[in-house]
Amino acid sequence: MADLWNAIIVNPMLNGLIALAGFLPREVEFGLAIIILTIVVRLLLTPVTIKQLNSTKGLQAMQPKVQELQKKYGKNKQKLQQETMKLYKEAGVSPAGCMWPMLIQFPIWIALYQSIMKALATTPENLLDLSQRLYPAQRIAQAIPLNSYFLGLNLGQSGGEQIGGLVLAILVGGTMWMQQKMTTAPSADPRQKSTGSMMLLMMPFMFGMFCLMFPCGLPLFWLISNVIGITTQYFITGGWGYLKWPFSAESASGRGTKKTW
Amino acid sequence: MKNRILVYLGVFCLVALTLGGCVGGQTDPVGFSGVTPHDGLLYLGSTDGKVMAVNPSARNEGIPFPSSSDEWSFLITKSSKSIACGSSSVPVAIYSTPTIAGGLVCVGTYNGKVLMLSPAARSQGADFPQMRSGEWVYPRAEEDVIGSIVGSPVATEDTVYVCSSDSRVYALDMVYGDERWKSDPLDDKLWVTPVVKDGVVYVSTFEGHIYTLSADNGALLPWSFEADIGFVSSPVLYDGTILVGSFDSKLYAIRVGSDVPLWAFPADKWFWAAPVVDEGIVYAGCLDGKVYAIELKTGEEVWEFDTGSPVVSSPALVSDVLVVACDSGDVYALDAAGGGLINKVSMDVSIRGILCVLDGIVYLRAQDNCLYAMDVAKGKIDWQFPVTIK
Repeated sequence: MADLWNAIIVNPMLNGLIALAGFLPREVEFGLAIIILTIVVRLLLTPVTIKQLNSTKGLQAMQPKVQELQKKYGKNKQKLQQETMKLYKEAGVSPAGCMWPMLIQFPIWIALYQSIMKALATTPENLLDLSQRLYPAQRIAQAIPLNSYFLGLNLGQSGGEQIGGLVLAILVGGTMWMQQKMTTAPSADPRQKSTGSMMLLMMPFMFGMFCLMFPCGLPLFWLISNVIGITTQYFITGGWGYLKWPFSAESASGRGTKKTW
Repeated sequence: MKNRILVYLGVFCLVALTLGGCVGGQTDPVGFSGVTPHDGLLYLGSTDGKVMAVNPSARNEGIPFPSSSDEWSFLITKSSKSIACGSSSVPVAIYSTPTIAGGLVCVGTYNGKVLMLSPAARSQGADFPQMRSGEWVYPRAEEDVIGSIVGSPVATEDTVYVCSSDSRVYALDMVYGDERWKSDPLDDKLWVTPVVKDGVVYVSTFEGHIYTLSADNGALLPWSFEADIGFVSSPVLYDGTILVGSFDSKLYAIRVGSDVPLWAFPADKWFWAAPVVDEGIVYAGCLDGKVYAIELKTGEEVWEFDTGSPVVSSPALVSDVLVVACDSGDVYALDAAGGGLINKVSMDVSIRGILCVLDGIVYLRAQDNCLYAMDVAKGKIDWQFPVTIK
């Protein structure tokens, strides 16, 4: 199974990444190759992403009605579930519609992560492993070993060991928070609101911490992925969503409209 | 609500750690140090950070280690800092094969230190370094390191030469460990064992250069060779010709002083291990699983033998028998003249360290951290000794 996974997904992606780096200027080859490959993969996954965003948008639009049902059938959970599902069905929205596009993307992220890590080949064992995965192409041979430095960052070294890694961690955390904030509807229920706020901060904080632990190639991929995610959401959901800028007039007036930019 | 958040947090950490640890991306450095014989003893580095002196006779008789005053082991550790565990002391990885220098044992470590060990001091278990016994460490300060050392040190009469991942070559005084010189940075990291001959240091680089440096002061000498492809193996110098494997899966022969290769022998994968040359024939193990015998003058193939698994360690030649170990754990004795199989020993454990042949017996340290002694010609393992000792 592992051989199949490597042969079909990881090795083509790995060779693509290295071949791509071979066409780029030596000083920035690997960093730029990660950025380009991330963009290409995200573009290929655009139809799936759009489907996911539309499903999320549809579910959020249903929230006022769901809250009404919660008030009405709050004590009878079985009835509440039935009525909620009925509501979704009538509106042609499925909660699973948000999940399955994410599940499809998951293996691709894992493969991309593996490709980045394997291409770096920071130890002799990793370089030996890489030798068994490469296709016999001159462009690939010429690119090996990759220059792991990009804009002063060593992409093969963990973020915690370099100052640039701290900056990258903050950027990853910040963009992740921004992306989540754009899609997370504020809840009227104070308890849910509190949990939502916690989750909204927790995920970016934890990814920021992971950035300090993993080689910087991976945080770079997360950062680009987040930026693309924000851009896609901006154009698909029609603006900044639930993200309220502090200097926004609408935000200051407390109307809390969806589009604040 | 707090419990729910903690559960979310726990599940998220678990998933992230599973992805990071189990999905696989990079493996930690383990090391594949080889075995060096000297005065009837075997010196080797282990996968758990030890340098050891082993008496083969005592191991053959199964006497508990250390059997006598000449057997010893010395653990090399480094300080490790992590967010989760704080500061701790962990064993270093050792890729370099110990080098005998003036009766002492010199080794480079993956954390960027060069150590000179005295067998007398180590067998007594004295604190390191015992300067009176000729022991030293470079750099001296505990927190100072040079780049990771993967190749082996090379000792001449009074100097130890070592290549480092900080892309420099270092020349150290053999007696005191003082730095005689360090070269200017040469390309990318240097994972090779340099060749030192007639006052010249030869180094091949991942960027596709072969540099020559003055052994006296480290200055670059006029001749260097530049290729389009990086060199992966350590260079070998034989009769004025440098042999080196490259990332385009070719073995290059380059005459010193020439700008064009004498020949380039193609294979399916990299020539990772340094080849062996004898009487005009080059014996080269390749990661495509084959061993090639190549005419040095012409680059024509004499014979090839397919082991079926990558050959990571250099072959060893004993009179007319070529001993080859491959990554799957098979060790072959081949007829050096025609490449015919004489016998083989199968171990089912990865072999990556340099082989040592002494009195017809092959000694090797496999990746299961055991030292093996085998009579390959007869196809049997004489004894095995687990190097992992508390």
